[in-house]
Amino acid sequence: MDNQIEKDIVESVLAKLLEQGILNPSAKPTQEAANQNTMDTDCEPVTLEPMDFIGVENPHNPEALKMMRKSTPARILMGRAGARQRTASLLNFQADHAAAVDAVFKDVSDAFLAEHNLFKVKTIVKDKDEYLMKPELGKKLSEETKREILDKGEKGKQVQIIVVDGLSSTSIEANIADVMPALIQGLETQGITVAKPFFIQYGRVGVMDDVAPLVACDVIVEFIGERPGLITADSMSAYMAYRPDHNTVEAERTVISNIHRGGTPPAEAGAHLATVVKKMIDNKVSGVKLAELMR
Amino acid sequence: MGTSNLQIIQSVGIDIGTSTTQFVVSRLTVKNVAPGSLVPRFAITDKEVTYKSDIHFTPIDSNNRVDADKIFALIRSEFNRAGVSPETIDTGAVIITGETAKKENARSISAKVAGFAGDFVVATAGGKLESIIAGKGSGASDLSRRDYTTVANIDIGGGTANVGIFKNGKALDSCCINVGGRLLQVDQATGRVIAVSEPMKSILDDCDLGLAVGDLVTLEILGRICRRMSMVILECLGTGQLSPLAEQLLMTAPLRLDYDIDTVMVSGGVADHVYAPCPSMTLAHATQYGDIGPLFGMELANLFQARTVPMARPTETIRATVIGAGAQTVDVSGSTILADDEVLPFKNVPVAIPFSDTIPRDETTIAKGVTRSIENFYEKDSLDKIAIGLTGTQYLSFKEIQVLARGLLKGLAPIIQAGFPVIIVLEADIGKVLGQSMKAINSRMNIVCVDQLLVTEGDYVDIGKSIAGGTVVPVVIKSLVFETKQI
Repeated sequence: MDNQIEKDIVESVLAKLLEQGILNPSAKPTQEAANQNTMDTDCEPVTLEPMDFIGVENPHNPEALKMMRKSTPARILMGRAGARQRTASLLNFQADHAAAVDAVFKDVSDAFLAEHNLFKVKTIVKDKDEYLMKPELGKKLSEETKREILDKGEKGKQVQIIVVDGLSSTSIEANIADVMPALIQGLETQGITVAKPFFIQYGRVGVMDDVAPLVACDVIVEFIGERPGLITADSMSAYMAYRPDHNTVEAERTVISNIHRGGTPPAEAGAHLATVVKKMIDNKVSGVKLAELMR
Repeated sequence: MGTSNLQIIQSVGIDIGTSTTQFVVSRLTVKNVAPGSLVPRFAITDKEVTYKSDIHFTPIDSNNRVDADKIFALIRSEFNRAGVSPETIDTGAVIITGETAKKENARSISAKVAGFAGDFVVATAGGKLESIIAGKGSGASDLSRRDYTTVANIDIGGGTANVGIFKNGKALDSCCINVGGRLLQVDQATGRVIAVSEPMKSILDDCDLGLAVGDLVTLEILGRICRRMSMVILECLGTGQLSPLAEQLLMTAPLRLDYDIDTVMVSGGVADHVYAPCPSMTLAHATQYGDIGPLFGMELANLFQARTVPMARPTETIRATVIGAGAQTVDVSGSTILADDEVLPFKNVPVAIPFSDTIPRDETTIAKGVTRSIENFYEKDSLDKIAIGLTGTQYLSFKEIQVLARGLLKGLAPIIQAGFPVIIVLEADIGKVLGQSMKAINSRMNIVCVDQLLVTEGDYVDIGKSIAGGTVVPVVIKSLVFETKQI
């Protein structure tokens, strides 16, 4: 989409320059040539082909292909060069892979946390490498961190929201601004009390088992970055549990996944989560048991 | 409030047409189709017709009006034979079609029948909607989705031919032509004309035929009439110029024809004679129902064959409209919505579209747009229910949704003060958060804020009580009721 806008801008500027005689018409570079140039030199960014491009040559029913392309974010109808994929498809693939890697290795910025009024604590993990290699450590808080949470946070509210980087810091920065206020609004209009939310760096889902007994909440809502894929690096999950602790098993957690602009829109997800949390508080259960009750 | 994963809705379809009246009962399965970890997404996953009535002649009284008493008796007995009581009907549609829709008491009868048949059974009539309902019932809509093509469905009954154009499963265009198999009634035994309808007089004039009641007819004369009617249909599908006769017989605006038609399908009573032509038709055979329907079907098939019109077979012929009405009119909203059940169901609420393009980003402009759109429908001192339709799937942040909520409430202030609920129909998936945002501003008012529905200016919307534990509401979106021009 942005690429298309960029192309349009470049084309309109070139047209204007030609019109005003500043540019020599014979030197007018075609779009293909421009792409060629950027591929040859390393100093300029490559313009990626838009993802809705249909690469199938001489299609029998191009309208049908457009509908199919729109129906899925998967890489279908990309066309081919001989037996291989086209260069443009490969570049898109590599770019999306790079975005996924970035989402894992980047940190949630301090500016972002300040803007959303989230104080920051860490699990017992030392750095990103340890975080990735020892998943167990991402579920634990040190005694010192626990004291810090009690100091800066709030105890005894019905709901505690925590924001956790997980495997995609990008997704946290992309969605929290819309999902969190929608959730809080939905909870407060139902008369449910909410503790001050905070951020945990190097966290895994299970970190909620350490937090919930500490702040004595009924329900914990943990926003955590999902392992990024090649479709999007912006997808976030909300894990929830009713009074989790160290005896909690995975079946006792409820999850709403795929929260991002192309999935469940974050603001709408927040509103929906408020309803789910209300059900948990009313029924005093979460996870599979809650799903059974809803059947 | 449980989110049950499967719910059955019982739906009734009643079609009161020019020649025949039919009744069906169907079971629609509404199911959560989203995988476990996703926000639920309810959809109608299965449509099963559980009861099909016989095909009855539509009772007409001595004043040439629909005989209300007989219609009621007929529907009552069909409910009995189907073994269901009107109380167990969740939804459905009563549709008065063809020449019958022109009768002076059509409107009151369809409303009464709908009221009798169930709380959320809608009364409809009018060529445009009939065309779409018939095309859904005939399978034209499904075919266009499956093959990614543009399919024209022509539903030909006794009084009208309803053309619905479907592309990729969506209704694209429609028109209604006043040609049909029962515009001329002929006694099979004597071969004499029994009745000549008004539109048939125009057709006869065009063919230079001066037929009147009591005249003897021949197969050749009836053939000429049927060929002329077939040609009118072809003209309306975009073959050549519209003749003055075709212009006269069109009951709606002609098709836009800014698309190419890939396949043509014929449904309705006449369709049986299109797909099973009888090469050596006799006069007795042609007039077996006391009209010219069978001959019309044969002549249409001959014309389409001669012009190599690509044809597809419908899954339903004479029952297309009633099955469409019974199983295809109702849809479900998005699954994350906010709907105060105490104000539901409601029917025939006009839809105002305040913003044709994108939703403005400031409160005052939104409020002004909403107020203006309401004024297009109602005088200040005679307000009534109105639904605000917001189209487009632009991304809205939480902050922008707050602005939208405030703007909408400001613009809807007169409606709220008059005691009517706030009704918002959205295309984008933000129904619940927008509803909650409005509730957060004013918790006392009733709100129905539903999403993932596309409405256009001039639509009417019916919304039923929520199902599946308050997750979704059944919705019927109708183009103008009784909009067909009278000739």
